[in-house]
Amino acid sequence: MSLSPSFFNHRRCTTLNKVFDRYASIVFLLLGIGFMWQSTTISSSAYGSTVGPNIAPFSLGALLVLLSLRLFYEVLKSKDQSSKEEKLDYKRFLIIFAAAFLYAFLLETIGYIIGTFLFLLVSFQVLERGKWLKSILISGLFAVGVYVIFVVILEGSMPGFPSWLS
Amino acid sequence: MDTLQFLADGFATAFHWRNLLFAFIGVLIGTAVGVLPGIGPMSGVALLIPITASITGGLPPEAAATSSIILLAGVYYGAMYGGSTTSILLNTPGESSSVVTTLDGYQMAKQGRAGAALSISAIGSFVAGIFAVIALIVVAEPLSEVAIKFGPADYFSLMLLGLCAVSGLAGKSITKALIMTVLGLLLATIGMDTVSGVARFTFGIPVLYSGLEFLTVAVGLFALGEVFKTILENDYSTGQTAKIGRILPTKKDLKDSAGPITRGSILGFFIGILPGAGATLASFFSYILEKKISKNPESFGKGNIAGVAAPESANNGASGGAMIPLLTLGIPGSGTTAILMGALIMYNIQPGPLLFEEHPQVVWGLIASMLIGNLLLLILNMPLVKVFAKIIQTPPKYLIPLIIAISIFGVYAVQAQIFDLMLLLGCGVAGFILARNDYPLAPLVLGLVLGPMIENNMRRALTTSNGDFMIFLQKPLSLVFLIIAALWIIVPVLLKKRGKEVVVNEEG
Repeated sequence: MSLSPSFFNHRRCTTLNKVFDRYASIVFLLLGIGFMWQSTTISSSAYGSTVGPNIAPFSLGALLVLLSLRLFYEVLKSKDQSSKEEKLDYKRFLIIFAAAFLYAFLLETIGYIIGTFLFLLVSFQVLERGKWLKSILISGLFAVGVYVIFVVILEGSMPGFPSWLS
Repeated sequence: MDTLQFLADGFATAFHWRNLLFAFIGVLIGTAVGVLPGIGPMSGVALLIPITASITGGLPPEAAATSSIILLAGVYYGAMYGGSTTSILLNTPGESSSVVTTLDGYQMAKQGRAGAALSISAIGSFVAGIFAVIALIVVAEPLSEVAIKFGPADYFSLMLLGLCAVSGLAGKSITKALIMTVLGLLLATIGMDTVSGVARFTFGIPVLYSGLEFLTVAVGLFALGEVFKTILENDYSTGQTAKIGRILPTKKDLKDSAGPITRGSILGFFIGILPGAGATLASFFSYILEKKISKNPESFGKGNIAGVAAPESANNGASGGAMIPLLTLGIPGSGTTAILMGALIMYNIQPGPLLFEEHPQVVWGLIASMLIGNLLLLILNMPLVKVFAKIIQTPPKYLIPLIIAISIFGVYAVQAQIFDLMLLLGCGVAGFILARNDYPLAPLVLGLVLGPMIENNMRRALTTSNGDFMIFLQKPLSLVFLIIAALWIIVPVLLKKRGKEVVVNEEG
């Protein structure tokens, strides 16, 4: 991380990832151009003011373009550093992320209780197989507990069950 | 006398049973957040905003804001207490602000003095916390009276200064930090323009008209970003904790740490006031200071109690000091205070010089509750430290999915939009990728929070000057702010050019 004095070096050193930075600078460049281009379509005058709503986004977009060019230049200039990439656990992450995506996407269709229960159960099992009873118990208690506190006691609104069930 | 009267009213607010309960929950969760290595104060506070918002939903707006901010601030300074626990027992800092504590704290634990180290860091945190709140009480009102005279041009430049300070000290590369700041400011322009009512960058999509919700972005970037990082790096093993043993420090321990605690509190408080510098820098500098003035500097790193007392006091002093620019000027100096500011704005309460006039109940209630909260923290962290040490053993495999579920619940409870949930997940991935490649996230959130205000002040100033940008240089105060802002960016760049090591802040 970014505390630089030498005695912090036992912390994980992320080496400059040139490839990522190069692509990132291009993405930021395009974003900046996009914002500048789109801000030209915004009406340029506001009532009683010479400064319209397009000034800030346009100049910020220009600034982003300049900064991304600067980043690109910095990446070109920097020496090649061997990056010691750790192996990332993509499999677990993708399963949990997909579960979270489905959970979020279908929250209104399948309801909070079923969705939360299934999401937690799947994630617990992905992170550690087995201990089904404990997983089911925690998922169930959390899903029902949060729903009862939020909807029944605090009278918040949250789709509890699928519409075809109630 | 006015101040005392306000403070008394503040105590009346803070002693309301609900606010006492909220302060207690806040510091309790804060300590837990500090103890758990995976969650920092930023993600802890972000995660709790939607929860508190839904709990306080039925209250009148001002009371809801008071209770929420009391809880959220409790998480913030509570985390500073808890951060030392893992540093001392596990040699793994719970927060970046407790990194230095590992140096002597873990050595003390190995020598069987873990209890003394823990209690000294709790006492140091308490002294610093109380000192910071008292200083806040003294400084806040006069400072906000000065700030009230600022015109739009001065405000614009001051906010720019805040952004530059945070970008100049955040992360390894200033370019990257500035990119994140500008990106935050740009994202803030999405939605309906508050001055003219023109829709910007909405592309006719209805959900975009209200803009990207700050809350969703913050929870996604910080809470989900960190959770995704933990999953991807397969980083959920729990280590062996050291034995705590006797908790009460000896007379010699107390005598040895009295000086470091005093110096750490004062130094930390002043570093905390500076925008951009935060708890991490404060703890680091106070450690260096103690080592410099110590009679036997070689004993540092071998279990010197001053090496625990000073940084732990400093990081708590800094978290109190950081509240000053937030409350009096409306300029958050760090990621966590930016999130606190976002929370206040959510309740339609604008931090800044008018805060003390318009919402005395909120400010003074918060200040009084910080005094109470620090007392609660001392109680929580001295006798109950063994209970908290147990939290370290919470299996992350249960914690991680629960954090995701809480994020999704919280954002949906407040926003009730599937779009926000998608944005949340997207921000989580972006947060992980950006942080991994050294793009600091705090400037982005700061830009997102300050964006609308910067733009409004700029346009108000330009309207009075008929579009002449020279107004920012003609107003003397504004000019001073701009010069300081420029120096804040230029000086670190020049220092780096000359091969000097520049200390940078990760999060305060």
